[in-house]
Amino acid sequence: MSVNDDLPHVLILPEDDANRQLANEFHQWVPWHRQRQMQVLRVARGWNKVLKLFESVHVAEMRRCGYRLMVLLIDFDGSEERLVEAKATIPVDLADRVFILGAWSEPEALRQAKLGSYETIGKAMAEDCREGTDTIWGHDLLKHNASELDRLREQVRPILFLPN
Amino acid sequence: MYHTSVITRFYVHNFRCLQNFELPIAGKPSALLIGNNGSGKTTVSLALEILQRIARGTNRVGDLVKSKDFFLGRTDAPMRFEIEVELDAVELNVGALGIAPPRTYAYDIAFEFPEGFKELRVFEEKLTVDGKPVFTRERAQVHLAKTGQEKEAKFLIDWHLAALPIIQQQSPQDPLFIFKQWLARMLILRPIPSLILGDSKEETLEPNPQVTNFGAWFSGLLAYAPSAYTRIDEYLKQVMPDLKGITNPFVGTDSRRLVLQFSNRQGSVSLPFEDLADGEKCFMTCALVLAANEAYGPLACFWDEPDNYLALSEVGHFVLALRTAFQSAGQFIATSHNPEAISRFSDETTLFLYRKSHLEPTIVRPLGDLQVNGDLIDALVRGDVEP
Repeated sequence: MSVNDDLPHVLILPEDDANRQLANEFHQWVPWHRQRQMQVLRVARGWNKVLKLFESVHVAEMRRCGYRLMVLLIDFDGSEERLVEAKATIPVDLADRVFILGAWSEPEALRQAKLGSYETIGKAMAEDCREGTDTIWGHDLLKHNASELDRLREQVRPILFLPN
Repeated sequence: MYHTSVITRFYVHNFRCLQNFELPIAGKPSALLIGNNGSGKTTVSLALEILQRIARGTNRVGDLVKSKDFFLGRTDAPMRFEIEVELDAVELNVGALGIAPPRTYAYDIAFEFPEGFKELRVFEEKLTVDGKPVFTRERAQVHLAKTGQEKEAKFLIDWHLAALPIIQQQSPQDPLFIFKQWLARMLILRPIPSLILGDSKEETLEPNPQVTNFGAWFSGLLAYAPSAYTRIDEYLKQVMPDLKGITNPFVGTDSRRLVLQFSNRQGSVSLPFEDLADGEKCFMTCALVLAANEAYGPLACFWDEPDNYLALSEVGHFVLALRTAFQSAGQFIATSHNPEAISRFSDETTLFLYRKSHLEPTIVRPLGDLQVNGDLIDALVRGDVEP
């Protein structure tokens, strides 16, 4: 088995290779006995393909599996409309179980902003998620995620980080 | 937190396809080696294995390397193996030393094949700690450095024997003991599940590469640290939720046989270890690696294609469990051709090995230094990744 369908779990659908690396490094800092409650999926190759894949495959699967949460990891490419556009593809009945996160431009910009390697950034994101802090999520290139992050913390943090 | 027990340098020269080869893994708790068939990934583990076999007591040079192992048969230059590692004495369970700073151990050995010889001989050999020699050696002449109360000494040794296994260590605090034990306990794994039966007549903390002594390793690990069973059990119950327990009873007078109990609402069943599926034997091996690193580590672990025999849905979790376990102590190195395994590493932790032809040596480059257009897996499928 991969993730356990009978337990709450989180699937991450990354847009590209850089987002995959961030998600992987985040995953590595989830406590080992919770790691199987998270799965990083194969890259979709483009933010619009993330949405298409979500609609064509994951909507049905999420309806089948009530314990499943999904994070769509996309680049915002500096567009304020991206979140609205992406949210429009999420059916109302799944809206509270789907989260859309990503770098304001692209993950490479995070490295260029001297936030460190993808390893360091992924680790810092996991630490913020575990501790409920905004050390890295408060950065200019990530702070636009605030509303989604609040929802995410409420639902994902207990699954991946908090004791039962 | 300081990351102890990492290989800071591994250099090989004139051995098979490795010519003036240095593996850039300093500071990396985990690393993945990728590259085409024949690019030299497994040869790196074979080179490490030569050093490990010396530490485990194989001292006859002819049992370690052959003349055919020289790169393109070039016997005019020595074949060299050099390893440097940072070890923290306290974490090696060597006693109540307090918090000792990590020390840098460096072991070099070079072999030569003079004309008219039937087998290779030792050309040079030395062990240093923080740059100070423990012993040095040129061909037959060994020089033991002055340590504590011990005077320096010089003696001759058969030049067809490695000195490291022979030189007497004074105590578990002796740098020679610490280094040799670390090197001997390094895990170099290329498991062949069909050969792993789960029987044992002895105990060991040193599994062989094919892990055919799994039963002895299991017995040795639990004899050394009974609490290791908790880690083994916790991991295995995640991958095999119907597992109830493992027993290792005596069968006959002096041998044991591993048996696993499974149960669910439908009933229960006991299975001898040998009847497990190949992938399940890999889960068992992984459980022992995780428990061993906690019980008698930090260890270095080189696993050649850990994704072999695993279901696609398990590969990512399997690799992640290993990477995580070595995150704070020890070092995990894997090779892979599997897209799922490859995608669990970042560009910063992936090394690309490349060899243009059988007449040229292996080149290694961090993946992050290469120009890869688009998706890495696609580029690997196209054969478009080159240094």
